[in-house]
Parts: sequence; C-alpha cells; structure tokens
Amino acid sequence: MRLIMKDRTHLTRREFIVKSITAISAVYIIPDIISKAEASKPLDAEVSPKTKWAINVDVTKCVDGCTSCVEACVDENGLYGFDRPETDSQWIRKLRIKDIKTDKVTTLPMMCQHCENPPCVDVCPTGASFRREDGIVMVNQHTCIGCRYCMMACPFKARSFVHENLTEQVTSAPRGKGCVESCNLCVNRIDHGSETTACEEACMKEGHNAITFGDLSEPDSRVSIAIKTKSSRRLRADMRLKQRVTYSGF
Amino acid sequence: MPQLKKILAVVIMVFIPISSFSHDNEKHSLKGMSKADKLDQCVEPTEKMQKHHFEYLYHQRENTVEKGIRTKNHSLANCIDCHVSHDEEGNAIPINDEGQFCQTCHVKTAVNIDCFSCHASIPRDSLSRTKSQVHSRNTHIESTAKNLVEYYNETNYER
Repeated sequence: MRLIMKDRTHLTRREFIVKSITAISAVYIIPDIISKAEASKPLDAEVSPKTKWAINVDVTKCVDGCTSCVEACVDENGLYGFDRPETDSQWIRKLRIKDIKTDKVTTLPMMCQHCENPPCVDVCPTGASFRREDGIVMVNQHTCIGCRYCMMACPFKARSFVHENLTEQVTSAPRGKGCVESCNLCVNRIDHGSETTACEEACMKEGHNAITFGDLSEPDSRVSIAIKTKSSRRLRADMRLKQRVTYSGF
Repeated sequence: MPQLKKILAVVIMVFIPISSFSHDNEKHSLKGMSKADKLDQCVEPTEKMQKHHFEYLYHQRENTVEKGIRTKNHSLANCIDCHVSHDEEGNAIPINDEGQFCQTCHVKTAVNIDCFSCHASIPRDSLSRTKSQVHSRNTHIESTAKNLVEYYNETNYER
C-alpha cells in the first residue's frame, strides 16, 4: 500500500523523461503544424492583418519586349480594350526606362504598389478606395462614384477609369463603366487559396522569374526569400508610402 | 368621410395584393431549364428568397469586398451558376436577358437594378466553352496587350 502511494506522488525516471518530451514537443512542434494549417485561409474567414501580401520585381530578369505579365492580367481580369490605349484600362504595364548618362535601358512592370499609406485612400470622398486588412489596396466599385481623385493622387499612375460600357466581364473580376479600377493582386484567386497571381505565374512560365509574389509574414515564402537575398527598394521612397511592391536590381 | 373610407378600402383591397403577393410561392416560368429547377428549394426557403434575396446579396457583397469572405451560399456568382438557362447547344443564356430568371420577376415588379453592367451574367466556366471562342479571346488579349505596350514604349521616361 505504501509503495503504491509513493508511486503516485513521485515520478519514476522513465515517466519523467516521457512526460518532459511530450511537453517539449507540445510547445515546439504543435504551433508549427497549426501555423501551416492556417496558411491558406478558409473561404468563410475574414482576412487578417497577419497576412502581408507583397511583390518583389527583379528588374535585371525582366526582358525587353516580353509582355506575358500584361497578357496574363488582361486574360485573368477580362480587361479587353477598345484599341484605344490612352483610355483603355491597364492594371499592369511595362515601362522602359533609359539612363541618360549611360544609355542603359531597363524595362519593368508597373502596377498598383499597394502602399501601406495609400494616397488614393486618403483622397477618396466615399471610402470606396480602401486598404484591405491584408494590405491589398482596392476599389469598392459599389460605392465608387467615378470622381477620379484617386487617379490624380496616385504617384504611380496605377489606376484606370472605365469610360465605356463593357460586356465581356469575367466572373472573378466584376468591372463597369464609371468606376476606377486597378491591380488588386488577383484578390479572387488568392481568397480561393491560390499562392500566385496571374502576372507572377505568366512570368514563371516564360522562365524569367522577374516577378515574385508571396506573404511577407511567412519567412519561407518566395517573396520573403527574394527580399532577403537581393537588395530591393521602393520607388520614390522619399514619399514614405511604404509600398508592398518592391524593385530589385536598379 | 364614409366615402373617403370606402375609397381607401378599395385602394387597399386592390393594390396590396398586387404589390406583396404577386409572386408568393410561385415557381418561375422556366421550369426544367436550369440546375435550380431540379432542386426543391434555394439556399433558403423559397418564400424567404423571394422577399429577401437582395438583403442576402447586399450582406454578402460587403463581406466579400471588404473582408474577403468568399462563401458560396449567398454569392451572386453562385446564383447565376445555378439559375442560368442553356440553349439547345448548351451555351448559357445571360441571366438578365428578356424572359430569363432575374429579368422575368424584375420586369413584373418594376424593379430596375444594375448588377450586370459590371458582373458577368453567365457562369464562370462558359466564357471559354468552344475552341473558336478561345481563339478569338486569345487574339483579343494579344492585341490589347500589344497596344498597351506600344503606347507606353512610345512615352519616354528618362531620368
């Protein structure tokens, strides 16, 4: 009887080792499993500020004359134009920059930079231009009145206005006359669990790998690794807009 | 005064049934043409859907646009997937066309809403149904992209 009582109050060496290993594994391993399970958001969950979508563009890998990212964006979001490039919508465009001193030509894709301090949100009179919790700057076209203040405010010329009646919209990207629109990081795809945007996918398919998309809050995501391994910068960093889109290789 | 009361009674008796009971529990006229016709009820009881479908849609749109909630039950895309009719060749007919699901009721009750000037009126997969459509779509994409790129190449950005 005394022996049994003793057993219950004191741990044997074996029990001590087993229990301590269990406790350690609970502390170190289970949170890892849970965070991986949370990585793709369930459809009924709200977006959380823990996720930080971002893009890194490696300018040295961007090829002059390649338009695959633009084509992919047009296809994904149904941005069919009217052959009037001055007014047709462009969510992503290719820029060609020439250095005056050296004549070196650089091309780069330019899209909404998804600022953390977005000027387009500051100026919007109806709150239609807004920043989602996970850092995507987008237009709520239900409340947009088409005043185009945001287009004036954007230093990157990232937004477009729809001037004409549209007919061939795709389900994943509703858009219509009288509203402003811009890159929304393929928000529909991402909400449905995709880990890549149309432009990144197209760039990878071409084998250029200039565009890298991912979640900054995950240290192992493609974009986090790209930012860690390459020196990258924000365009016009002096304006302190804290863009989520960064460029490497200038 | 009694005359006024009589007129009021007549007005109430004539107009209230028209305005509120015109579509109660009535099956829509396109039976057998869409997925929805084979089901007993919609995502909510039929009577509820007839009176409050727009409230569900408003609620869902706020949740989707602002919070990124993409549940299927009350989403417009899902309404269309289920309620759209198809012609003999199996192509989807836009749901806001005359005589189609949305339009039939909205004409009858004189509701004029504007979902489909922005939202697609056919299901998500039917855009790329036939090969010729895919081809025309691809050439369309190429020309749009080419135009954009040429335009921005002509614009000089120097530093």
